[in-house]
Amino acid sequence: MGKVIVITSGKGGVGKTTSTANLGTALAMIGKTVVVVDADVGLRNLDVVMGLESRVVYTSMDVIEKRCDLDKALVKDRRVEDLMLLAASQRNRKDDIKPEQMQEVCEKLKEEYDFVLVDSPAGIEQGFRNAAAGADEAIIITTPDVSAIRDADRIIGLLQHQGIDSINLIINRLSPTLVKKGNMISKNDVLDILNIDLLGVVPEDTGVIASTNRGVPLVHNDGSPGAEAYIRIARRMTGQRVPIPEMRDDNFFSNILNWFSRNK
Amino acid sequence: MDFRSLFTRKSKSSNIATQRLQLILTQDRFEVSEDSMKKLQFELTEVLAKYFEFTMNSVKMSLKREGNSYVLMADFPFNQSKKNR
Ligand SMILES: Nc1ncnc2c1ncn2[C@@H]1O[C@H](COP(=O)(O)OP(=O)(O)OP(=O)(O)O)[C@@H](O)[C@H]1O
Ligand SMILES: [Mg+2]
Repeated sequence: MGKVIVITSGKGGVGKTTSTANLGTALAMIGKTVVVVDADVGLRNLDVVMGLESRVVYTSMDVIEKRCDLDKALVKDRRVEDLMLLAASQRNRKDDIKPEQMQEVCEKLKEEYDFVLVDSPAGIEQGFRNAAAGADEAIIITTPDVSAIRDADRIIGLLQHQGIDSINLIINRLSPTLVKKGNMISKNDVLDILNIDLLGVVPEDTGVIASTNRGVPLVHNDGSPGAEAYIRIARRMTGQRVPIPEMRDDNFFSNILNWFSRNK
Repeated sequence: MDFRSLFTRKSKSSNIATQRLQLILTQDRFEVSEDSMKKLQFELTEVLAKYFEFTMNSVKMSLKREGNSYVLMADFPFNQSKKNR
């Protein structure tokens, strides 16, 4: 019996879909069986980020309305063992699906797979409620800025109200250089404010854009800071003890600038 | 405005952001208006002021998340004791 984890944020565009694609792929690379579920009905993206869009035939809507079996609706990722995608319907609206229906789909999936990762839409309305309906655990994605953290706080409250106890945080797009300059909220300040467990920190990484262009999740080309961060997070999700490294700011120029402003 | 303050830790935009967030979230979490919060702070201070002398402006209240619930934190810095009881 596996578990269902909703990946959510409140605010849009902070990296939910990127994280779902990369964590799903990384978990499968470790040898886990994984389904990534796109819950962003009407605005689906996960298929594109994973590079599987041309092979999507059925969606979760077809399963719910009994036009096809659940197994048949899953698209197999051919680049790695045991990684499947359940796409969202692009022609429907978020309130065409009820939370109980989503829950039923998730329950069935976790009987067969170790990890069911649900990519939630932004917002706190029906789309979010559907995505969270079948979840045993939640991963909150936030970027280190005022509005994303505020929305994350709201979402944490809603998930706790729903009875989800295990809620972990990923801070995405952190730039050590900006933090050091005092122009970005630091990891510790985010943690101090939200006060939930940290699962990992993903740095700002230009490789994310190229990987989205290609439809190949970052973790396929290891070596980039973003890929390494996602792989470490995936290992932590499987229960391995992997330390969260302090991010180094290796921008020589900014180090010099910092030295000057400190010694004013 | 003190020119030097531009370079001190306080004026860094990240610190301003953190401070603003703490205020915003306290209000969001309380689910009460700024007015009622001020009133609550004032009344609490009034009660305590019977026993202590306070610097009213520096009273700070916040809600901190602890697991599934919140802990109400209130800082009442005071100058000196009025009465000894
Ligand atoms: N670590 C990162 N470094 C650089 N760019 C990133 C990073 N993470 C995400 N992005 C970029 O941010 C944008 C939004 O990412 P993504 O689509 O994953 O967010 P989302 O939370 O799923 O958005 P939505 O709320 O619209 O569903 C994308 O263009 C993506 O390439
Ligand atoms: Mg998305």
